[in-house]
Amino acid sequence: MDTICIESVSKIFRHRPALFGWLGREKQGETRALVEISLHVPAGNALALLGPNGSGKTTLLKLISTMLLPDAGRVTVGGEDTRTGASAIRRRVAFAITAERSFFPRLSAQENLDFFAALDNVPRQRRADRIPALLEETGLREHADTLVMKFSSGMCQRLGIARALVKQPSVILFDEPTRSLDPASAEEFWKLVQRFRDRGATIVVATHNFEEASALADSIALLQAGHLADYRDLNRTSTRELRSWYLDVTGQLDALPVAAGGWQ
Amino acid sequence: MSTVRTADKFLAILLRDLRTAARYRTGFAISVAGTLLELAAFYYLSRAIGPGFRPEGVGYFPFVLVGTGLYTFMLMAMRSFVDCVQDAQQGGTMEVLMNCPTPAPVVVMLSAASALLGNSVQFVLYVGTGLLLFGAPLPAANWTGGLVMFGLSLLIAIALGMIAAALQIAVQKGSAVLWVFGSGAWFLTGTLFPIEALPKPLQFVAACIPLTHALSAMRMALLKGASFASLMPEINALILFAAALLPFGLAAFSFCLRRARLQGTLAFY
Repeated sequence: MDTICIESVSKIFRHRPALFGWLGREKQGETRALVEISLHVPAGNALALLGPNGSGKTTLLKLISTMLLPDAGRVTVGGEDTRTGASAIRRRVAFAITAERSFFPRLSAQENLDFFAALDNVPRQRRADRIPALLEETGLREHADTLVMKFSSGMCQRLGIARALVKQPSVILFDEPTRSLDPASAEEFWKLVQRFRDRGATIVVATHNFEEASALADSIALLQAGHLADYRDLNRTSTRELRSWYLDVTGQLDALPVAAGGWQ
Repeated sequence: MSTVRTADKFLAILLRDLRTAARYRTGFAISVAGTLLELAAFYYLSRAIGPGFRPEGVGYFPFVLVGTGLYTFMLMAMRSFVDCVQDAQQGGTMEVLMNCPTPAPVVVMLSAASALLGNSVQFVLYVGTGLLLFGAPLPAANWTGGLVMFGLSLLIAIALGMIAAALQIAVQKGSAVLWVFGSGAWFLTGTLFPIEALPKPLQFVAACIPLTHALSAMRMALLKGASFASLMPEINALILFAAALLPFGLAAFSFCLRRARLQGTLAFY
């Protein structure tokens, strides 16, 4: 199983000036999305990333998935550096991208899953077994042959989760996974994640929901304006202490300015 | 990567494209109508010009039929590389596709190959329909030579397509670059008229464009039945172009992809 190490990672997004500045105003300079973040997620553990919009949660997930490369510091997954071992990392890591636009709208749910699973190196026979099972687990079995362009946001959310799980990754990254789910679906989702955790998968989840985070995770990292504001090991903290800590820290964070930009 | 796995991926991409095309029901009919109208326009243009104009010693209609057929095939082949990146950027699937374990150049190549299959069928139908409907004669065509030229043209198109796809990732305007290239190639490479009609400096520029050699050789093979010995200079030129452009195209694509991952612009469009 794979350990995630994030060592002094910084990520800066530069805004390139427009060709004709007088035609309209555009933000100049740079956005420091992450500043010297260091985190360690042992194999089989779950880390929850909490923080307001623009705090750097998604950027951190993208760095782990190799979708982005760090400007400074290093990210390793199972000992492989994202700069030099991206292919090996992509075989193990799945980033559950659940945006409606991340699917082919004129393919059905089943066809979309089959397509992405083929590119994820899942053999045909295993796809035939896994995809119906995952559609069942995510509550989409009845919609297997429905074109994705007819899906609601919540259904796309569930399909994105299914897509991430087809290749049975050892590291799973979730970005606000229950954002568009109704409470019953959200509960089903966390049960599904728990099953993967029980099988030893390492999980990183970015969320705004403290209750969900504390129920699932072994540790919580609180991000604010690209900085690691605080970190708690939940195995060493009681629920009461944790809630008090969270209220205390977020109360302080509310007084701070929100991160510039909005890069995700 | 094993051949079986690559074939499986190609099949998945081909099925995706076929299913998507089949679900855009009117698209196919529109493209067939467009092709027939284009053929009719060239036929009547050649009649208006009259039988006296025989570029490179052949009738104008077969000259322009092979010229526009191969030009369109190569442009569409290059375009298919840009399209598969652009569609992924605009459709929102770019980050998912570029982050799967299949190497990004392979994803782009397989996607383009799927489109290329369609383009090849279209090329054959275009030339074939032109011959059948308007009776353009190919009395002693060197079909094997034509096939070799077709294969080499394909390699050139793949190399240029990778460069165009790299530009699409880097500046998000690969189609504009392709438009500039296509417009230049349209009159510089002898698609509509022989390059001898161009001023000397432009003839030199034309010789530096691989498409010129592909068109010339394809016409020699199909319209004049030229032997392999006569085709050798053009074959050598195309092999040289392919040997230089293919590694360059792959390197440019990988460089632009890495740069986009650093700058966070992978999904920009």
